Amino acid sequence: MAKKVLRIDMSKLEATYENVPEKWSRWAGRALTSAIVFDEVDPTVHPLGPHNKLVIAPGWVTGSPAAPSSGRTSFGAKSPLTGGIKESNAGGLSGQKIAKLGLAAIILEGQPEKGKWYTLVVTNEGVKFEDASGLLGKGMYEIDELMWEQYPDTAVIGIGPAGEMKLSNAGISVNDMENKPGRYAGRGGLGAVMGARGVKAMVVDDTGGPGVEIVDKDLFKQGRKKLTEAIQEHDLTKKDGGLNSFGTAILINILNEAGGLPTRNFSAGQFEGAAMISGERIAEVVEERGGEGMTGHGCHPGCIIKCSNIYPGEDGSAMVSCVEYETAWALGANCGIDDLDYVAKMTYECNDAGIDTIESGNTLAIAMEGGVIEFGDAEGALRLLEEVKQGTPMGRIIGQGVEATAKAFGVHRVPTVKHQSMPAYEPRAVKGIGVTYATTPMGADHTAGYTIAPEIAGVSGKLDPLSDEGKAELSLTFQAATAFIDSTGYCLFIAFPILDIAKGWAGMAESVAGVTGMNITGDDVIPLGKEILKMERLFNERAGFTAADDRPPEFMRYEQLPPHNVVWTITDDQLDHVFAWVHDGNGAGD
Amino acid sequence: MNSINVNVTLYGPLARIKGKRYVANFDIELEPGTHKGDLLALLGISLEERSYLFINSVLCDVPGLDSGCGEVLKDGDHIGIFSINHMWPYQYRDGIPMSENLKKALQNRGVMHHSYTVHAEKD
Repeated sequence: MAKKVLRIDMSKLEATYENVPEKWSRWAGRALTSAIVFDEVDPTVHPLGPHNKLVIAPGWVTGSPAAPSSGRTSFGAKSPLTGGIKESNAGGLSGQKIAKLGLAAIILEGQPEKGKWYTLVVTNEGVKFEDASGLLGKGMYEIDELMWEQYPDTAVIGIGPAGEMKLSNAGISVNDMENKPGRYAGRGGLGAVMGARGVKAMVVDDTGGPGVEIVDKDLFKQGRKKLTEAIQEHDLTKKDGGLNSFGTAILINILNEAGGLPTRNFSAGQFEGAAMISGERIAEVVEERGGEGMTGHGCHPGCIIKCSNIYPGEDGSAMVSCVEYETAWALGANCGIDDLDYVAKMTYECNDAGIDTIESGNTLAIAMEGGVIEFGDAEGALRLLEEVKQGTPMGRIIGQGVEATAKAFGVHRVPTVKHQSMPAYEPRAVKGIGVTYATTPMGADHTAGYTIAPEIAGVSGKLDPLSDEGKAELSLTFQAATAFIDSTGYCLFIAFPILDIAKGWAGMAESVAGVTGMNITGDDVIPLGKEILKMERLFNERAGFTAADDRPPEFMRYEQLPPHNVVWTITDDQLDHVFAWVHDGNGAGD
Repeated sequence: MNSINVNVTLYGPLARIKGKRYVANFDIELEPGTHKGDLLALLGISLEERSYLFINSVLCDVPGLDSGCGEVLKDGDHIGIFSINHMWPYQYRDGIPMSENLKKALQNRGVMHHSYTVHAEKD
């Protein structure tokens, strides 16, 4: 059975099922959300107005039987935070259930009558529009519980109060296997786009759905086997490996030792309290407190990496999932806070209000630099996040993110690119990621450029990856590979084993080819990724972005970062070279 | 000077060498002229057990790769040593300061890998 596109018109409260048009038939996940936004959203529209659309798409292999770690859901729209195209993806329950309903994508468009809010119930029978006025103002923890009381074991996609207020830092929550709202398509304010469609929650029940068709079962099984073996063999992703044992926050102490952990609003590369908010400390707390806390927690069914955690309170009861690297850094080191319990409380508050933890931590640091509270004031930081949920004037400023808050409080050291704040790798110290921060269509994003094998990236004999010039050259291939992986539905962390273990790379491509029937090999990954990037870059250009938007923040050019006392050294010419090919006339797939 | 003092932090299961769970920080007295490799031997840490190693925030070792006995330690140095199951994806360390010994070792084995424990061939 061919997949369908489910189009939900919130102006007419109508749902229609459409055949997937030829132009979108090759795409899934990020590729599909970007293609639909590129084709159907005028880049000049207001992100919160009636003409923006929210597109939700599972990846190629999402929902297929036992494809390892493949439960990602992509969300795409014009971003209220960046003003450009945005794809943000999440784990949780939604991707597999949408895919098993036979849907390639769900398009939310239009706006209902002012003041009307709805819960959408998506089943194999169609879409029900339920009045959501009784849910307004509620945080995501309560929303998930209420939805499961009525619709148990469903996927719940929802927004917290921040999305209702259409704040630029509002994310979209997906419930996890414990029905908690820890899985966020957090970046770029897509929760505000969902709120602007008048949708508080979307329940997805795949009961009776047709499932995911696999065109070439033998090829799929072959690819799945290779990829599974690669994941299980690699030190980073295997059971009891780094991610499984300590979660992504294992990087806190490493980046701190390297002098690349942004501290107190990117004013230093080392934080004296790093060990207290690290993955090692999280594992110690879990072991000391016992109870419901755990490391090695999966964020979606079928994950075999399991890098998530459940952070326990003092009594051992589950406090929040998940305290990950970016979260521990943003709400910890970047705010000068070394109390892990407060970091966990703030994470809970972000999850409940429905805001991105990276942008939130950066915003708190800006508020600290602007004198609203002191660096290290954990109680004050928690209070500011609570104000977001309450919708106070201060909370609404904080909920708009870093740049709005910097303007409100006269801060000029603003760590953003394309209006989105930087994640947890200091680009003056970790130069390679800085190139990707500067040039990705998504705004500063640490997940936009994952390393691929040197022979595919063209390194062997051509580029010196240790030089500044090499980093600019490499960033494009890294970004293209990532755009492809974001479209598969696989967790981006499969990038670790598929870089180092050849059969993993082949397994990824073969499993996608097996599900879709497309003739994809490992050699097709970069050209397909470049097609996706080209759509995204062109959308941004038409929205008004220029080369001046592919630049690091000014202060990083002149302010030396301790302990290495380094400044940004990549030239503008090198940055401009990354996407020069978009207009070279050789087509997207060159 | 009859001896030097350096500060060491062990991360992950290596911390058990000093009776800690996952992080152990301590000072240690060494003979002048002690190399990085001597310190590892003194602590009983093998190539198979350690991953990233920093001296004063400069990366000197990565998992699975032997960059040699390495640098002579100086009084007041800080050395951070991570266990073999630690991870640091390449894209998140691309451009950080590295020792010359490590740069040479990486050039021989191929720069762009997350880990060298499973990848034996030169690119």
